[in-house]
Amino acid sequence: MNRNQHWDLSSETLNALVDNEYPAAEKAELMQMLLDDEAASAELCRLQRVKEMVKTAYEQPPVPQPKQGRETSSKRNRVVAAVSMLLVGVMAFFLPGLFNQPATERFVLLDPDGRGAHPAVAEDQEVRIVFHVASTTRARGEDLLGEIQALLEDYRSRGEKLRVEVVANGEGLDLLREKLSTQKQKLSELAQQYPNLTFVACLNTVKRLRVEQGVIVKLVPEAETTASGVAYVVKRQQEGWIYIQV
Amino acid sequence: MILLLKQHKLRKQFESLRPQLYRIAWSWCHNADLAEDLVQETYLRALEKAAQLKEVEKLKPWLMRIMSNLHTDCLRRRQEFVDLQDLELEAESAEPCEHTEQQNAIHRVRCAVAKLNEDQRQVLTLVDIGGFTYAEVAEALELPIGTVMSRLCRARKRLKGLLQKQVQERPKLRRVK
Repeated sequence: MNRNQHWDLSSETLNALVDNEYPAAEKAELMQMLLDDEAASAELCRLQRVKEMVKTAYEQPPVPQPKQGRETSSKRNRVVAAVSMLLVGVMAFFLPGLFNQPATERFVLLDPDGRGAHPAVAEDQEVRIVFHVASTTRARGEDLLGEIQALLEDYRSRGEKLRVEVVANGEGLDLLREKLSTQKQKLSELAQQYPNLTFVACLNTVKRLRVEQGVIVKLVPEAETTASGVAYVVKRQQEGWIYIQV
Repeated sequence: MILLLKQHKLRKQFESLRPQLYRIAWSWCHNADLAEDLVQETYLRALEKAAQLKEVEKLKPWLMRIMSNLHTDCLRRRQEFVDLQDLELEAESAEPCEHTEQQNAIHRVRCAVAKLNEDQRQVLTLVDIGGFTYAEVAEALELPIGTVMSRLCRARKRLKGLLQKQVQERPKLRRVK
């Protein structure tokens, strides 16, 4: 705060003193003036007291009540992880051929909570990003996967934890369709190189294409599926994932 | 890519500022759930607009501007915030012996702050609770610094008067022999 050299101990000046708005030299001058002004000194003390009272009164505000029906994140993650592993174990026992199917026909269903074969349990300090692909062009597919790879490499080189999910629905599903995707090679490479990267396809879109256009959609082998892509990304946002719409 | 990293850094910085933002939000609406929603909405809006933040030093006032605008929109649109005058009624209905003197004092201050008009309360809480400088408040609320100073002066003057009045109106304790 800059003032000219002619000081006055106005209400604004006193408040600014209380709030430490003056640099040291100016503050020293004002404090010197206060020594000769009893009324202003008393007012300064009163203002300081008011400031402290406000600060104290709001130091510990009440916390919001937890929303009904929602468990804490860490507990929920543990439950989901347990269910996921159980599901995978059961499937492996009763359907031994499932995981040995030719790559071009493998579908991996996510469990109801959307964790799949690789539960995305949040670890400490893990950054979690969900990309929502609702429309795509050839150029976008290349750009998107290129950027995701750069992001994954960046975190890997720094030893920091990152989990990325790419959720495709609507027109964006083209990215994960066996016949239409122009990025199949890249998808395969990325899926092999980065176990912390998951591609998720929306089954609602698959169903809609079948019903409305008579198209039987075959997804690339790297794609996992979820009942509703929109519901999935909303759930991820609620869980605290960074949401990026492409 | 730059935007992605910016959003990631923003997320980390936001988490460190979250308790402060919550205290300020609560001082504006005195409702824990609404305050939490306001902070969360601020977070989401900030992520959406991450590209607009050019200087990381301006993060605090930038976030506060977002929160202030959201708060204003909410007040204008839904009028769902607790009528802050009701705080006084809540205090009157409680048995004095249920609270410590310190809790009573805190409650009196909160009631007094609630009686300030919106403009004065915002400036006062940003400075006293948020620790904002006048320049940061001016930036956050998009006001001239002079306006910030005058609102703060009037806020503290009114607050002093209200607290003084409360002290005078309290029943005096009498020593019983």
